[in-house]
Amino acid sequence: MRRGLIAAGLWLCSVMWHAPLAHASDAELLQLKAVYLGRFASYVQWPQQERTVFDIAVIGAHPLGEQLAGFYADKRIQGKPVRVRAAANVQDIGTPDVLFVALPTVAARQAAIAHAQDHGILTISDSKGFAELGGIIQITFVEQNVQIKINYDAAVKTGLHIGAPLLSIATVLRGSQP
Amino acid sequence: MAAQLFDQLSIRTKLVLLLGLSLGLGLCVSSGVALYSTFAAERQSSLRALHQIAAITSENMRAALAFHDAQSAANILAPLHTNPHIRYACVEDEQGHLLGQYRAPATTEAEAAAWRKALQQAGAARPDGLHQGIEYDHHYVVYPIDFDGKRIGALAMRADNEAMYAKMRQFVVLQGGASVLILGSLLLLSWRLQLIFTRPILELIDGMRRIGRSKDYATVLATHHTDEFGELYRGFNAMLREIRVRDEKLSQLATTDTLTGLANRGHALETLQAMLTRAQRQGRPMGVILLDVDHFKQVNDTYGHPVGDRVLRDIAHILQANVRAYDLAARFGGEEFLVLCDGADLPATADMAERIRSAVASHVCRLADGQTLHTSVSLGIHAGTDIRATAMQLIEAADQALYRAKQAGRNRVEHA
Repeated sequence: MRRGLIAAGLWLCSVMWHAPLAHASDAELLQLKAVYLGRFASYVQWPQQERTVFDIAVIGAHPLGEQLAGFYADKRIQGKPVRVRAAANVQDIGTPDVLFVALPTVAARQAAIAHAQDHGILTISDSKGFAELGGIIQITFVEQNVQIKINYDAAVKTGLHIGAPLLSIATVLRGSQP
Repeated sequence: MAAQLFDQLSIRTKLVLLLGLSLGLGLCVSSGVALYSTFAAERQSSLRALHQIAAITSENMRAALAFHDAQSAANILAPLHTNPHIRYACVEDEQGHLLGQYRAPATTEAEAAAWRKALQQAGAARPDGLHQGIEYDHHYVVYPIDFDGKRIGALAMRADNEAMYAKMRQFVVLQGGASVLILGSLLLLSWRLQLIFTRPILELIDGMRRIGRSKDYATVLATHHTDEFGELYRGFNAMLREIRVRDEKLSQLATTDTLTGLANRGHALETLQAMLTRAQRQGRPMGVILLDVDHFKQVNDTYGHPVGDRVLRDIAHILQANVRAYDLAARFGGEEFLVLCDGADLPATADMAERIRSAVASHVCRLADGQTLHTSVSLGIHAGTDIRATAMQLIEAADQALYRAKQAGRNRVEHA
């Protein structure tokens, strides 16, 4: 029994070492999401660039807000210092550059998406079906891989241009696709 | 051994051989330089091509690496199969974790593992930049991938050198073929060029052989050369002239009596034999006059040998003045003289003998002290058309007639 536990522990360590995403802890996943959110920004062009601060808003109850604030405290996105803030409801969203949607219901997510489309905000979420709902970027961690799904029409409708390298590694929803 | 073998070759072969060796050496050196420069260029070209592929692939790979998208990484690497020489490629994140790899069909897993390790070590040597190199059987590139100024991983590629070696083999075949053609053409040209040098020498050798066979030292070898070959011809012609002059001197010494300037005994006998043979063949007569100075011993004893010599020279002059151009006057020995009359019968021979006798008898030799000396000669003659007579028989017959002239009181002509 004890030998079996040791073997299982060794296997777990091995897998963790060789495939960091496969069985990453929640903290690690959170860290990765924070990193990726900044990297998404590198492939997106916003129509207006007069801001001096890169504004990220997190709507909904999600620990990513704290993670983002900590991670980007001394870093820059697109050459600008990063400001992270939390929004409790759609009215509090304002006009950030990026909106991470962590709302629990489809209706709430749709409302946030609608607001974002109206204000040229890049929407990102790890919620299932987010892209199909009209969100721009959906990230999902499956097994050993991160899966990125991009709703290209939604990005166009929002007035954002997404770079080809990001599109090339993502599942892109276009045209008649839901 | 080689030097002896080389010495045995003709000048023509030596020239062609040396020209061929020089040309071959020049071609080898130029081919070697061309081969090396092509090899260096192909090395750089192979490395540059792999570098370009790595640069393009890494640009596409950046997003996949940024989001740790292994599937996309594999998809981006998959088209590398279109280049059969790329045997392995891998992309790793900043921690060295493998994100994706490409393995050519011919590459085994063990090879891939070993090559990845080697590429990691190569990349570790230059952690902050591009690293590339070429070995005997492969070349590689470790291409760093940055995101927003920060290193997020690296792409490594390894390709074999078969394409380069195939080009080099093709180049060697082409260069070798061209070299053989050039060498063949230049050898043909050198065969023509060597004639410039060998023809004058061979012509000179041919002339030397011809002169050696004919003994015709009056020959002059003509040449239009004004260079060293002309000098050689001129030297050879000068040597021929010297031989000719020396031969004439030797011939004169061998046939002439030094005191009187007349033909000597040996030459007289040779001429007699030739004249007799010709006369017998043609059925013509010939005459022989043998004459002896009367009381010559007494002249020597009375006046001394110099006066005796003077008398002999005077008689020689008289003989020369009284013989025909085709006759021969010779000093036969001591105070004896021989005259060979070609085509003369007995009356003609007798007339000539009488003229000689009369001229000698009327000749006055004036000595240095003012004294005068009178001499006379006795002559025995033989003439006829005896086809069986030998030269010595003619001489003996004339000698017997001379003896009778002496016995009959000297200063007279007797015939056999």
